[in-house]
Amino acid sequence: MSAGADAALPTEAAGSAPQRATFRHYRHLTLELAITQFKLRYTQSALGYFWSLLKPALLFAINYLIFVDLFKINDGTQFYGIQLLLGIITWTFFAECTASSMQAIASNAGLIRKAYFPRSILVIAASLSSLFTFLINLVIVFVIAVLLHQIDIGVRIVFVFPLLLELYVLALGISLFLSALFVQYHDVGHLWDVLMQLLFYGSGVMFSLTYVLQRVHLALAIGQTTEIHNSHFAWIVEVMACNPIMQTVEDLRHALLTPVAPWTELVVTGHLAAVHQYATLDAPWLAPAPFVVVILVVTIGALTFRARARSFAENL
Amino acid sequence: MSISGRDIAIRVEDLSKRFRIPLDRSSTLKHRLTHWRSASRYRTLEALRDINFEVPAGEFIGIIGHNGSGKSTLLKILSRIYRPDAGRVTIKGQVSPFLELGVGFNPELTARENIFLSGAILGLGRAELHHRFDEIIGFAELEQFVDHKLKNFSSGMEVRLAFSLAIQAHAEILMMDEVLAVGDASFQQKCFDVFAGYKREGRTIVLVTHQLPAVTIYCDRALLLDHGRLVADGSATEVTAQYRRAIGLADDGSKLGPEIDRWGSRDVVVTGVRMLDERGEADENPMSGGFARVELGYEIQNDAVSEFTCVVWLVRGDGLVISEARLAVSQYAQAGSSQRGSAGTIRYDIAELPLLDGTYGVNVELQARRDGATFDHVEHAIRFRVIDRGGRRGLIEPGGVWSVVPSEQPVVSWPDQFASTQQ
Repeated sequence: MSAGADAALPTEAAGSAPQRATFRHYRHLTLELAITQFKLRYTQSALGYFWSLLKPALLFAINYLIFVDLFKINDGTQFYGIQLLLGIITWTFFAECTASSMQAIASNAGLIRKAYFPRSILVIAASLSSLFTFLINLVIVFVIAVLLHQIDIGVRIVFVFPLLLELYVLALGISLFLSALFVQYHDVGHLWDVLMQLLFYGSGVMFSLTYVLQRVHLALAIGQTTEIHNSHFAWIVEVMACNPIMQTVEDLRHALLTPVAPWTELVVTGHLAAVHQYATLDAPWLAPAPFVVVILVVTIGALTFRARARSFAENL
Repeated sequence: MSISGRDIAIRVEDLSKRFRIPLDRSSTLKHRLTHWRSASRYRTLEALRDINFEVPAGEFIGIIGHNGSGKSTLLKILSRIYRPDAGRVTIKGQVSPFLELGVGFNPELTARENIFLSGAILGLGRAELHHRFDEIIGFAELEQFVDHKLKNFSSGMEVRLAFSLAIQAHAEILMMDEVLAVGDASFQQKCFDVFAGYKREGRTIVLVTHQLPAVTIYCDRALLLDHGRLVADGSATEVTAQYRRAIGLADDGSKLGPEIDRWGSRDVVVTGVRMLDERGEADENPMSGGFARVELGYEIQNDAVSEFTCVVWLVRGDGLVISEARLAVSQYAQAGSSQRGSAGTIRYDIAELPLLDGTYGVNVELQARRDGATFDHVEHAIRFRVIDRGGRRGLIEPGGVWSVVPSEQPVVSWPDQFASTQQ
């Protein structure tokens, strides 16, 4: 019955059905890889997942002791302590996400040389596993904010999601770019370490942009700074204002921790307000600048990755 | 849907692939920045050249060739892992994403976790894996180790797990690279049972392997690659025979193998090995069932050595040892004769060579009688090709005797549980 055998062959699937199946397969694979990586991060440690909570808490304690308790620094905003904590966990997410995703391709050489699937899945999975930790940490901040300061989270929580998406897309864009280059040039690993140090100070983790602007104002008012100094300052502030990490940190703080957010005041204005508050800086183009930066970064990252992905298997 | 009876599952047209191997290994950014003007120096390796073939759906095809002939590269291009430099590959049907067993396994995860992770790479959904979980674990015979970490598994256990998972893939086209190289005999038998099942289901299978017998038994067709070129495309029996001849001829030059296949203290050395027929003439193509003599020359270079053991192994082309024969040699035995010398010839006569058609080799070793320490070992000292007039396939002629006993009713029948699966 050779005809019967032929008929039993799976007929070639037509239309979008196989595409949907393929998409489902890749989505499932991405999640499976992300969950595995999240699990593996905490195996072989006595405290396990508890570390994902303990780490930011300890970092917070150290920073709080040094800056608030010891040096009596307060940037003038309310609840500096919890603001600082929020800044730290946001930064930790960005730093961990880019650092671990950068190696996603190089450290999975075996998988890439022996199985086919879109290579970006590995980078997305690595970044997602950092995102899980971040989300858990955010919940902790919420809980502390509600318990300690009676902050009413309420409906404002909705504004958190677009900000998280923005930050995640930025981190993913950078991860795609770095992981693609890292395959051939491990130099980018060291370079990125140094750059992150710079970014940390330029992201308003310790001090809000408002604080920096106030200091500049103050310096100008008491004549401590010259015009040259001022233009220098303005340049730094302008660059900082373009930084999407600073913008998301500011806006997250504004969305979550401002005591009573008037409904008229849109969430994203946290960052905008700070920029506009700086009177000498007459630059309205700065307001959307962080978003433009995110779009640019993710575009360049994705294009670089796509161009290089086809030769990963040969170059690893 | 099919025009000529069978659809074409894989079509490869004018396929070429080159690898650029950098001559200077330092590929850092600094190097690139400082040397950006001078074009990087590369050695180009032509991995595949102008390959053309088609595989009809449902065919089991084997790809053979020596190491570095481009087999694995071809398989990787078919699986979309490598991109071709020139030519076109058209594939109709879902391709399994796996090339080898156990891809994606993580030693830090338990067997259960690995099944879900590796299964995801294979394209199996979570619900489906849950559904088939017991079946996978059962087939791998690992029921007691479900929640043990993979790093505590023996290599055999790991392979069983990998295999029982891999066979769950739904793909219509399966690509397999040396899956037979691992595992013991019973595992290989399991592999073959599964292959046979695939064949019945009409799946297309591309198998890259060094195991020529497997190719002749299971593949409908075979491709032979040599230095990136497709040199033969035909029935598995013909192509494997051609490959065997090619290996035999390639090493025809010297009687002694290359230095790399020879080791030992050289207190006694093998001065040469040859194969002779009954008339004492050199003959490297003995007949199956005919006479064959292996003749080995030795020379004692260390006067302190007065006795040694000579070992002769007959091996198959792929290294499988078929037989071992030993002879104790003592110089005192020759003392009576006037020929007391420090050299001589050892003969090993086989009256009826029990080997079937194929290429074989002889390994020889001279070793110390007391502790077996190696004086001189020569791997593949000679190769010879056995010719069988009947063209019978296989390895040995066991010398069986046939008879037929007629009866009214069948006397021999299947065991009960097996009978129901027949028909």
